[in-house]
Amino acid sequence: MNFLVHLIYLSPLAAGVGLILGLPARKTAVTAAVIAIVSAFIVFIGYDRATGGYQFTSFLPLVADWDMNLSAGVDGLSATLLLLTSIVALAAVWLAPKVEEGEHRYYACILLIAAGAAGAFASLDLFFFYAFHELALIPTFLMIGIWGSGNRQGVAWKITIYLSIGSIILLVGLIGLYLLPSPEQRTFNIVKLQQLASTGVFSGPGCRSVYFLLLLGFGILVSLFPFHTWAPQAYASAPVPVTMLHAGVLKKFGLYGLLRVGLPLMPEAARHWTWLLLILLAGNILYVGLATISQKQLDLTLAYSSVMHMGYIFLGIASYNVIGLNGAALLMFAHGLSIAALFAMCGELRKQTGTLNYLDLGGLATSMPRLSLVFGMATFASIGLPGFANFASELLVFFGAFKNSTPGVGFNEFQIVGAIAIWGVVISAVYMLRAYRAIFMGERQARWQTVKDMPLKLGWAVILLVAALLVVGLAPRTILDAVEPGIRLFVK
Amino acid sequence: MVTLNDYLIASGLLFAIGFAGVLLRRNVIIIFMALELMLNAANLSLIGFSRYNVHNGLPDYNGQVLVFFIITVAAAEVTVGLAIIVALFRARQTTHVEDITTLKF
Amino acid sequence: MNFSPWIILFAPFVSAVVILLITGRFKKLSSYISVAAVAISFVFSVAVFFGPDGTASFNWIDLGTFQVKIGYIINDLTRLMLLVVTGVGLLIHIYSIGYMADDRGRSRYFCGLSVFMFSMLGIVLANNFIMMFIFWELVGFSSYLLIGHWFYRPAPPAAANKAFLATRIGDFGFMLGILLVWSASGTVTFDELSGRWSTLGLSPEFMTVSALLIFCGAVGKSAQFPLHVWLPDAMEGPTPVSALIHAATMVAAGVFMLIRTYFLFQPSATALDVVLWIGLITSLLAALMATQQDDIKRVLAYSTLSQLGLMIAAIGLGAPQAGMFHLFTHASFKALLFLGAGSVIHSLHDEQNIWEMGGLQEKMPVTFWTFLIGTLALIACPPFAGFWSKDDILASSDRNIPAFLAIAAVTYLTAFYMSRLFVVAFLGQARSEHASHAHESPGVMTIPLILLSIPACIAGFPFIASIFIKVPEHEGSPIGAMAVSLIAFAAGAASGYYLYKDKAKDSIEIPLFEHKFYFDEMYASLIKWTQDLLANISGFVDRWVIDGTLVRGLAGITWGAGFALRFLQLGNLQAYAFLFGAGVVLLLYYILFVTK
Repeated sequence: MNFLVHLIYLSPLAAGVGLILGLPARKTAVTAAVIAIVSAFIVFIGYDRATGGYQFTSFLPLVADWDMNLSAGVDGLSATLLLLTSIVALAAVWLAPKVEEGEHRYYACILLIAAGAAGAFASLDLFFFYAFHELALIPTFLMIGIWGSGNRQGVAWKITIYLSIGSIILLVGLIGLYLLPSPEQRTFNIVKLQQLASTGVFSGPGCRSVYFLLLLGFGILVSLFPFHTWAPQAYASAPVPVTMLHAGVLKKFGLYGLLRVGLPLMPEAARHWTWLLLILLAGNILYVGLATISQKQLDLTLAYSSVMHMGYIFLGIASYNVIGLNGAALLMFAHGLSIAALFAMCGELRKQTGTLNYLDLGGLATSMPRLSLVFGMATFASIGLPGFANFASELLVFFGAFKNSTPGVGFNEFQIVGAIAIWGVVISAVYMLRAYRAIFMGERQARWQTVKDMPLKLGWAVILLVAALLVVGLAPRTILDAVEPGIRLFVK
Repeated sequence: MVTLNDYLIASGLLFAIGFAGVLLRRNVIIIFMALELMLNAANLSLIGFSRYNVHNGLPDYNGQVLVFFIITVAAAEVTVGLAIIVALFRARQTTHVEDITTLKF
Repeated sequence: MNFSPWIILFAPFVSAVVILLITGRFKKLSSYISVAAVAISFVFSVAVFFGPDGTASFNWIDLGTFQVKIGYIINDLTRLMLLVVTGVGLLIHIYSIGYMADDRGRSRYFCGLSVFMFSMLGIVLANNFIMMFIFWELVGFSSYLLIGHWFYRPAPPAAANKAFLATRIGDFGFMLGILLVWSASGTVTFDELSGRWSTLGLSPEFMTVSALLIFCGAVGKSAQFPLHVWLPDAMEGPTPVSALIHAATMVAAGVFMLIRTYFLFQPSATALDVVLWIGLITSLLAALMATQQDDIKRVLAYSTLSQLGLMIAAIGLGAPQAGMFHLFTHASFKALLFLGAGSVIHSLHDEQNIWEMGGLQEKMPVTFWTFLIGTLALIACPPFAGFWSKDDILASSDRNIPAFLAIAAVTYLTAFYMSRLFVVAFLGQARSEHASHAHESPGVMTIPLILLSIPACIAGFPFIASIFIKVPEHEGSPIGAMAVSLIAFAAGAASGYYLYKDKAKDSIEIPLFEHKFYFDEMYASLIKWTQDLLANISGFVDRWVIDGTLVRGLAGITWGAGFALRFLQLGNLQAYAFLFGAGVVLLLYYILFVTK
């Protein structure tokens, strides 16, 4: 059964290569995505929650001298993220529009992004963990540059250079991490590194600078304030499937990296830099949140909101306790689904009306009852309505932040940032409801009378996403019970 | 009595004349010849050093061997260089350096 | 294990899901499903009412050391509130079948009502803070849905947004309060907290702050000053919704929550004082505003605000039982009043201005008489229900003279504006086309009116009320309080009646009251100058400073450096040779002469 983990990233990878060689575009892509989601689902269900630890592991030695291997395996966290990846990938492939020119390349790029993200989540080797993520950046660049909208080429260069700088900083950090142990102990194997960590190899000032590099590198990839300005324009002008995959899945790589490599290996250094992380994430929530309010277009609002919500995940990570980290993991899953659904429907709106400006739209619910219903659900999911997974995870993040306090004594830094984050829930309600009202409610302008409702093709994709959100939201234990044992291992 | 210094002064003069030619003349062929002059200035100093660096009654032949190498390489270089100049003249109908500034941005 | 509470809770949920997924197209069927669900909840609530106390829960989230539980607690408070919510809810559901008969969004409407019943019952049953917060948020959501029911008009969506955001601001404090309480005590379960809270040895400031933050939740949900502005606007929703959510049950959830968590307030006199005065200020302001409103639903909305303020004040006075008693009676007569107003509006083709009504006594007898009963109950006319409960609140304030006077003033104002409303809307001559052609509403609407007027008449009598609630007993001088209450009522009713009898337009004009003390305008400019300004600054900084200057600046420096270095490329071979030679000479000079 261990090959299933490989299947999750190999099937889109192989299909992507196959498409370039000339297989039929849509059929192959959908088949590969279905294979991936089925294997991810089996892995997620089959993961033994009682035993915990890494399961479904497999191992293929590559460079023995450096202890670099092609090794894959999952714990609860990566099983969850693989499930997320395959769900969003299936939705993205499914709703991909008809492409006149270069359909094969279009689908191949989507599949390669999905394969890169899945590969990074499945790898248990530092090298492949990094390399798979890089693999996903290239098709992202191509997709935005070729099929994007607006100032697509400038945006493509910007996101690529920005993310490459992040990756390079990250690479330096990872190399530093590799070099920290004594020469005979050096390894790329994440599992071995985690065992090494308990011997106290990763401590001291050198480790702190390595962690700083990791934080910075991962932070840039996750659009941590103030390194977030690549995100809004990129998401606004990228093709819908890319935005879904990037905002929903690929961006979570940095957070996953902190949870997989940063915190378990260097707890002491992580605590050392907590103050910095707290300040920056407060910027994500408050400053970017306010900037979101000032946006006048749906795509930019959604893009900014996705930057803002990263702050909550960072807060869970910064709080560094079982509650907060579980909340962060669940929020990664929840946010991935909700933002993908929102961007998918945003793309449909753009296609139908040709504009996303709030002043131009209004009253569309009369013409598009189905779209407005599902969009409303995704809207309320993203502002944390109970019943959707976002609420459960934000709740855990808040409790996690407040866990780090002396009982009965006033406000420490965690509680202040926690309060800012709770205020952020109000802010996100302001901009999302304003957007929803401006687009769907109120009096309908005459020119929108002929707008068609959501096509069935898109409907299936977003219903898949929203249904997953609801299932996890109503029963968060489906995911938390899997994630929790892995997190408990490195949080005492 | 001719000393090492005399050789070196002659070599230096030759080098300076060659360098001045490279810097000041506009015709590529002349520049090329001046370049040869500089090479030979170096050869002269090498031979001078070789002759005056005596071990066990024998001069140091390393320098003289090096000169042969330089002469050989210079011959090859002249071939290539002249070929480039001919090609250049065919392309641009000129051998003046002011007219060939395509390396500028 | 007792399954009744779970059935009460989940029957409306199942109904909402079924309507959403299956019966959306069949409008009639949807409405019957919704009504049936509430009926089931009501029947089981009656069963629970006569059943034993109990509590049970399961883990919704389980992280080993931290659990979030979904569970119920059955005690006297729960029993009464269950009965109020499902009873009033059932009648209003039935009424809605008639009122919404011609609406094309009926399925959506009944789905929303079911979601509301589910969430409200969740609040009532909740045995811990987190579960209460979950349903608290859901209640806000269903309120948003139902206020914005007529989304294709301009005003309802705005009102829905306003309601949701105002309650969210309150919830900000509520969540903070929950977190503070939890971080200090390690539990969120009401049972454990009530035993533990005062024994933790916390500083008085901490206890006050936590209690007041929790109170913020009630301020938002029960529309207390300064977050009261959303409730009058919420009248944009269909009238049955106003009756159920924005009069009888949801807005009372704040009061209910305060009573449920009274143990948090009890140790802190400061917190109780703040609660008292927020309640009184709301009550007075709302009563003053109500005197100058012309929209029948808005007058009722302000009276709701005012009565909620009284309930909150009762809690602040240390008499939560009196507050609960008033909540109980108020639910029946305020629902009655709103449904009566709905009946009038329905029959007058959506006319809501009281000056366009009049002369309805013969045309709508059932509505007329039931509305009269509701009015008398609200203005505390003995022996109707409101008299007893308001008297209880007044009596519990007899040690606090300013509070006593304020409540008396509210009693007077209530009598004044309600008699104004009644006189103008129902008596005299028909003042518009629609009013002269008014007709009685169908039975499905009048029967709930009649049923609701029964508790409005009799629920206050101590021997009847004591079945439902422990009626507070007073030491001191209840006779004095009763006398003041009676005088205030009589004076208010008389002045309202004589000032407005047979008038065709309002003879008193007080712009300050008519414009609701300009709160909306104040908040609009406050938001404009704080949040919107900050938002625009952030947006500007993000676009032009961080992205425009820093990011593009770095990119620009890289590009510019390349551009500057281009000028060294002369393209002249001899210049390169000269520079090269000069470099050699300099190096030689340095090696031979400087380093020596």
